[in-house]
Amino acid sequence: MEPLLKVENLRIELATRAGVAPVIDDLSFELGHGENISFVGESGCGKSMTALAIMGLLPDRIGRIASGRIIFDGEDLTKASEKRLRDLRGNEISMIFQEPMTSLNPVYTVGEQIAEVLREHEKLGKTAAHNAAIELLDAVRIPNPKGRVNDYPFQMSGGQRQRVMIAIALACKPKILIADEPTTALDVTVQAQIFDLLRDLRKEFGTSIIMITHDMGAVAEMAERMIVMYAGRKAEVGPVQQIIEHARHPYTKGLISCVPHIMADPTFEREELTEIPGIVPGLGEFGQNKCLFAERCNMVVDKCLRKRPPEAVFANGQKAACWRAEEV
Amino acid sequence: MTELLEIENLSVRFPVRKKGAGWGGKTYLTAVDSVNFTVRKGETLAIVGESGSGKTTAALAIARLVTGETTGQVRLEGKDILPLQQEQLKAMRRKVQVIFQDPYSSLNPRQRAEDIVREPLDSLTGKSASEKAAIVDELFAAVGLRPEQKRLFPHQFSGGQRQRIGIARALSTRPEVIICDEPVSALDVAVQAQILNLLRRLQADFGLTYLFISHDLGVVQHMCDSVAVMYMGKIVEHADRIALFSNPQHPYTEALLSAVPSVDAKRREETRRILIPGDPPDPLNLPKGCRFASRCPIAEPRCSESEPPLKQAGNGGMVACHLREAG
Amino acid sequence: MTDQTTEPTVKAQSPLSEAWDMFRRNHAAMAGLVVLCCIVLGAIFGPYLYPGKPFEMAWAPFSPPGADGFLLGTDYLGRDLLAQIIHGARVTLIIGLSAAIVTVVIGVTIGAMAGFYGGIVEEALMRFTEFFQVLPTLLFSMVIVALFGASLPMITLAIGLVSWTAVARITRAEFLRIRELEYVMASRASGASGRKLMFRVILPNALPPIIVQSALMVGSAILFEAGLSFLGLTDPNVISWGQIIGSNRQYILESSFTVTIPGLAIFITVLAISLVGDGLNDALNPRLRQR
Repeated sequence: MEPLLKVENLRIELATRAGVAPVIDDLSFELGHGENISFVGESGCGKSMTALAIMGLLPDRIGRIASGRIIFDGEDLTKASEKRLRDLRGNEISMIFQEPMTSLNPVYTVGEQIAEVLREHEKLGKTAAHNAAIELLDAVRIPNPKGRVNDYPFQMSGGQRQRVMIAIALACKPKILIADEPTTALDVTVQAQIFDLLRDLRKEFGTSIIMITHDMGAVAEMAERMIVMYAGRKAEVGPVQQIIEHARHPYTKGLISCVPHIMADPTFEREELTEIPGIVPGLGEFGQNKCLFAERCNMVVDKCLRKRPPEAVFANGQKAACWRAEEV
Repeated sequence: MTELLEIENLSVRFPVRKKGAGWGGKTYLTAVDSVNFTVRKGETLAIVGESGSGKTTAALAIARLVTGETTGQVRLEGKDILPLQQEQLKAMRRKVQVIFQDPYSSLNPRQRAEDIVREPLDSLTGKSASEKAAIVDELFAAVGLRPEQKRLFPHQFSGGQRQRIGIARALSTRPEVIICDEPVSALDVAVQAQILNLLRRLQADFGLTYLFISHDLGVVQHMCDSVAVMYMGKIVEHADRIALFSNPQHPYTEALLSAVPSVDAKRREETRRILIPGDPPDPLNLPKGCRFASRCPIAEPRCSESEPPLKQAGNGGMVACHLREAG
Repeated sequence: MTDQTTEPTVKAQSPLSEAWDMFRRNHAAMAGLVVLCCIVLGAIFGPYLYPGKPFEMAWAPFSPPGADGFLLGTDYLGRDLLAQIIHGARVTLIIGLSAAIVTVVIGVTIGAMAGFYGGIVEEALMRFTEFFQVLPTLLFSMVIVALFGASLPMITLAIGLVSWTAVARITRAEFLRIRELEYVMASRASGASGRKLMFRVILPNALPPIIVQSALMVGSAILFEAGLSFLGLTDPNVISWGQIIGSNRQYILESSFTVTIPGLAIFITVLAISLVGDGLNDALNPRLRQR
C-alpha cells in the first residue's frame, strides 16, 4: 500500500541576515496509515520546520521549499495552491502546539472555537456544530462537557486546554495529526493522561501521528518509528525499540544516554551522565559538505570533516548517516 | 552527618483579593503549609512536585526571597534565619545562594558576565577589588568558561553557558547551601547532562549541600540522596532515594512515578500506569481531609474526614497517608 | 568537558552598540537622524553664520520668497523670515527638549515608585496620574501660562505638566514586568538593597520604551508650543516657529507663505524626530533584534 505521506528529498531554505541557510537539508521519510512516527532532536535542528512545511505554514518570505516533494495521499503539496492547502489544514492534516496557554483565542469560548472549525470545513450548521463540539469535548475526556463547552480558555487548566486543542485538531477527523511538543508545558501526570488520550484516539479514528519531541521516554512510549534530526539533516531513522537498544549514530546514542532515566531497579552507584559537548551549530553552519555533528562527536575521524556521510542501512529499515555507523 | 538545615512548620501564604467580596475582601492562598524536613550537610535533598505544589515557594522562603507571609522556623546551623535583618541577613545570604530556573531571565542583560558573577561579592562581602577579581577568575575556570568570556553580555552566551554563569554567581560567596530551582528544565537535553555533571562535580569539590527543586523525576533520581514529594503545599512523602524510587508509599508518589515515560522496556512492562483523574483541588478552598483524596485510587471515607500526619512508613521514610503505615 | 572547542570567539558587543548597528540599518531612521542633526546644527550655528536680524524690519512686508535677496521672503512687519526661522529653531528645540526632560523626570519618578513599591503607594500614585490624564491638556496649560506669565520656563513647565502621564504609565508597566524577572530576585539573593534594585537593576532595563517615548515627546512638545503660540500665549521677546505662525495668522489668505514656511519647519522637525523615535523603538526592542 502507498504510504499516507511521503516526503522526498525535501530542502527548505530560510533567509537569514547572513544569507540563505538550508534548515531542512535533503530529508526523506514515509508515514504509513495509522502509524506514529516521532521526530527527535535538540531545539534548532529543524524538527518544527518539517512540521510547518507539511502544513504549508512556512514563515512568509523568510522560508521556502527549495526542492523536493511532499506527497500526501497521492497529491504533491509543494505544488498545491494556497487555497488547497487551507482546505487541507485542520481538515486532513491538523496540528497541536506546545503552548496550550497561548494557542487558544482568549476571547471565544472553547465551544465556539471547536465549532468554528466544523463550520468552516464540514459546513455544519450552528446547532449541529455546537453539539459536535460537546461530543468532541467528551471524546477528549473533559468532565461535564455540556457545561464546560461555554467556558473560556482562562477558566481551564493547562491540561484541559491541551485537550481542547486536541479536540479542535481532531474535529474533522484528520488523517494526520502533527503534535509539536504537545506535553512539554504540562506536568507528568497530565502528560500521561494526554498520551493515553492520543493513543486511544488513534485507535478509534486511525489517525497517523507525527510527534515532535526531545524526550526519548515519550518516544519510547508513543511511537513505532523515530527520526533523529540534527542540524537540518536526518541523523538516524528506524524502529524505536531497536534504536534505543542499539543506536547507530553517535548523536542518537548521546541523546539517549545523556538523560538520567528512571530504571526498573535504581542502583546506589550513579555514573556521570554522558555529555554531548557543545551546542547545535547556528544556521550559518548548516548545509556544508561534511558531518555537521563532527565537532561534538567523540568518534570523529578526518573523513567526517571532508564529506557528508551517506546513510548506512541496517535491519528493519534502520538507517544512520554516519561514516562509522557499523562501529557505533 | 549533622543537620545543616532544619525546617520546622514552615508556612507561606499570600494575600489574594477575594472574588466578589468587594472592598477589602481578602483571603489567603497557602502555598506552603506547615512543612517539616531536615537537610544533612553535604547531601542533596530534592523537593519534587507538580506545578502548584509549593516546592519553589518553600525553597525561596528558605532563601528569604518570598514576598508572602512566612511563619515557622528555618534553622541554618541551629539558628533561625527567618527573623534576621540587615547585617545578619547579609551573613545568612553569604551562606545560602540560589541557582535559578531560567538562564534567559536570571541574568541582568545589561551586566557583563564578570559583573554578574561578582555581584554577591560586591553586596555581601568587604573584599578588595583584586581579591574579588581573583575569585571571579577561579570560578570561571571552575564552571568551564573561558577567561575572555568575562567581558561578554548574557545574550552572547548559549543557554548552557548562561546557566554556568548563574552557577558561578551562586558559588562566589562560598555558600554552605545552594538552592537549585529547576536548574536544567529550561535547557536542551544534551546540555542538561553538562550542567548536571557540573553540579555534582562542584558539590564534591566545594562540599556543597543542595536543596534541589525539580519536577523531573529522572533528574531527581540522578542527583539526590533523599526526596521530599509535595502536593498542594504539603509534604506527602519523604524518603531516601532508593526507598522512594523502588518502593514508593504514598499513592501520589506512585502515580507520579508511573506517569514518567521510560526508555527502559523492562520498566515499561513492569509499571502499571496509575491514573489520577481530575484536577487538584482549588488552593483557595482546600478540602478538610487529605488533599489528594479526591483523586486517590485507594481513598476511603476517613481520608476526606481528617488530614493524615507525616509518620514513619514501611520503606524507612515518612509518609502522610492513613492507609500506609509502618507495621 | 565544556563548550570550549565549538564556540567561536565573540566580540564583547554591548547592548548599546548592538542597538546602534540595528539603528544604522534602518534607512528611514537614519534619514530622520541626518535631518535632525542638520536642524540642530543650524539652530546652534545659524545665528552666527547668517547676518539677518529676526526682530528688525528689513524690507517691505510680504515680500515673497526669493524676492530681493530674501530667500524665504518677509513677514507682515517686513522682517526677514529666514532669520526668524533660524533664530526660532533654537527656542523651539529648547522648549521641545526641556519639556521632554520635565516629562521624563516627573513620569519616571512617579511611574518607578508606583511600579516598585506597589500596594498603597501604587494605588495613590496611579490615581494621581489619572487625575492629570483626564484634565483637558490645552486648557490646563493655558491656565498655567495665563496665571504665571508667558515666560519660556513657564511654557516648558506647562507642557511638561500636562504630558508626563504617558511616561509614568509606561515606566510603571515596565517596572511591574521586570520586577518579576529572575535576575531581580537573583540580585536580592546577592544582597542588593531596595535602592540599588530600583535604580541599578530595574531602571536601566526599563529604559528602552521610556527613551522612545521621550524622543516622541520632544516632537509633541514642539507641536504643543506651536499651539500655545498660535493662541498668543507666548513670550513676545523670544521668537519660536509657533510664534511666527501665530503672529502672521491674520494674513494667512493673502500671504500664505508666512505661515506655511514655519509650519513646514515644524512638520519636518517633528517628522524627523518621529522617524528617529521609531528607529530607536526597533533598535531597542530585543524581540525585533533577532530578525
